[in-house]
Amino acid sequence: MATDELNQRIQQRFPDRGITVEPFEGLAGRVLFPPAAALELFRFLRDDRSFHHLSFVAGVDWKSEREVVYALWSDTERDYLLLSTRVDASDPHLESATSVWPSANWHEREAWEMVGIRFDHHPDLRHLLMPDGYEFHPLLRSFKLHEPEELEVKVRHV
Amino acid sequence: MSEMWINMGPQHPMTHGLWNLRVRIEGEIILDADPEMGYLHRGIEKISEDRHYNEIITLMDRTCYVAGIAWEHLYIQAAEQALHVTPPERAEYIRVLTEEMQRLASHIMWYAAFVQDLGLMSPFLYGMRDRDLLLDIFQSFTGGRLTYEYMRVGGVRNDLPPGTTAQVRQTMDWLMDRFVEYDRLCLGSDIFRRRCDDIGVLKANDCVTYGVTGPMLRAAGVARDLRKDRPYAVYDQLEFDVARADSADVTGRYLVRLQEMRQSVRILRQVVDWLDGHPGPVMAEHVPRWLGAPYAPIGREGYLVKRSYPKGLGFSAIEEPHGEAAAYVVNEGGEHPYRVKFRSPVFVNLSAVKKYLVGYRVADIPPILGSVDVCVGEVDR
Repeated sequence: MATDELNQRIQQRFPDRGITVEPFEGLAGRVLFPPAAALELFRFLRDDRSFHHLSFVAGVDWKSEREVVYALWSDTERDYLLLSTRVDASDPHLESATSVWPSANWHEREAWEMVGIRFDHHPDLRHLLMPDGYEFHPLLRSFKLHEPEELEVKVRHV
Repeated sequence: MSEMWINMGPQHPMTHGLWNLRVRIEGEIILDADPEMGYLHRGIEKISEDRHYNEIITLMDRTCYVAGIAWEHLYIQAAEQALHVTPPERAEYIRVLTEEMQRLASHIMWYAAFVQDLGLMSPFLYGMRDRDLLLDIFQSFTGGRLTYEYMRVGGVRNDLPPGTTAQVRQTMDWLMDRFVEYDRLCLGSDIFRRRCDDIGVLKANDCVTYGVTGPMLRAAGVARDLRKDRPYAVYDQLEFDVARADSADVTGRYLVRLQEMRQSVRILRQVVDWLDGHPGPVMAEHVPRWLGAPYAPIGREGYLVKRSYPKGLGFSAIEEPHGEAAAYVVNEGGEHPYRVKFRSPVFVNLSAVKKYLVGYRVADIPPILGSVDVCVGEVDR
């Protein structure tokens, strides 16, 4: 499936919603969308574009913002599609994808406990890999494994 | 009789690792199931943020300890895309060779453990014996039997020593005869069929809804295999069929894995023929030398050289022995990846456990979860 064609369909269906499709080497593309359009876009991709399989949901910490990445697979297109959205780090929350793809359940639980993104209307948002009551979100950049070494050297860019 | 919750695990022979399956039962019938994961969580994605690209390969072997090199292959493809490196063709063939041998070793290990769950002791010993032959080949060119650290960004660490291809051919001939024995021991056994037929059923539409992939999905009649549907490395140049069955039960998963092993032998025979006729480099030129270096090089005047590299995103997906595995690598130009994400197939297959356990009896749990082929290392990461 050509990225351009997907872009055209999305612009037709969601005009002026701030959704853009950019090419991604080896994949059907990468869709950047605002969090408010999440569920509508998910339903459109599942029902009209046959992306029935959700491969994973990943959270990425960009300090002031947090990114949620979705990877979808379509059996008819035989291709992957990446979705990416950014939420503000002061109150990171996003609509859960479980109503569209039930397989998002554990992925979102993991993204919540690792990166601290809350998924609204998730059926069972509790700890998965960490013990109950664990207070930290280990995959945040502010969670350091060790103090950085202090090197007394001048840095030259090459 | 009243209902109760029981814990199967974290230390139970059924779990094949460390995790806890809580089941609600009434008498012998399972009413609900709730897996508790995290006993083997090592934070591999977090540790990766503090490591150079080639140092993460060590972690990949430990992600899944029965399919280490398949995970190396997965990670290395995503890292190469993020770093804009292309490996030479011979390296791609060697990677396919290792991945298929790993698939055989993993499936044989699964066979051995699965039949032991059913109480059959001798197939376990046969399986371990045959897997050892594959580990011997691995040892001859990687030096490791379980954790290989063999792949590098841009290729593989070293070429195959002379004699490896002949050893592979010999082992494949031996294994093809053993698969006949495996089938005779299991499918020919009335006890095996009574314990495995029509239990743990997960139909195709449920598999798709819950994201279940791999042999479980193919046993439900869906011939999805990323090696065929989205050929990576050199799989588009190799001939093989996608194994599938229609019964969607434990026996179906057994049939799929046995068929898959025969297809792996078929692939391996083609790969060693190609490798014999096409010598060449196994490492790409112009791979930045610092990629594997644990310390920053010191510049001419004693300055610490600031490393910079074009930014990039990497995505890769492979058909790992357990199902669809995917990796996502964010390269922000530094010496370490900014973020690494791995999708484990067993993680998702286990999240649907309620769907294929409820309604069966407690005694059915070991064969059903045996047929899932649980590897807790890759679930918890």
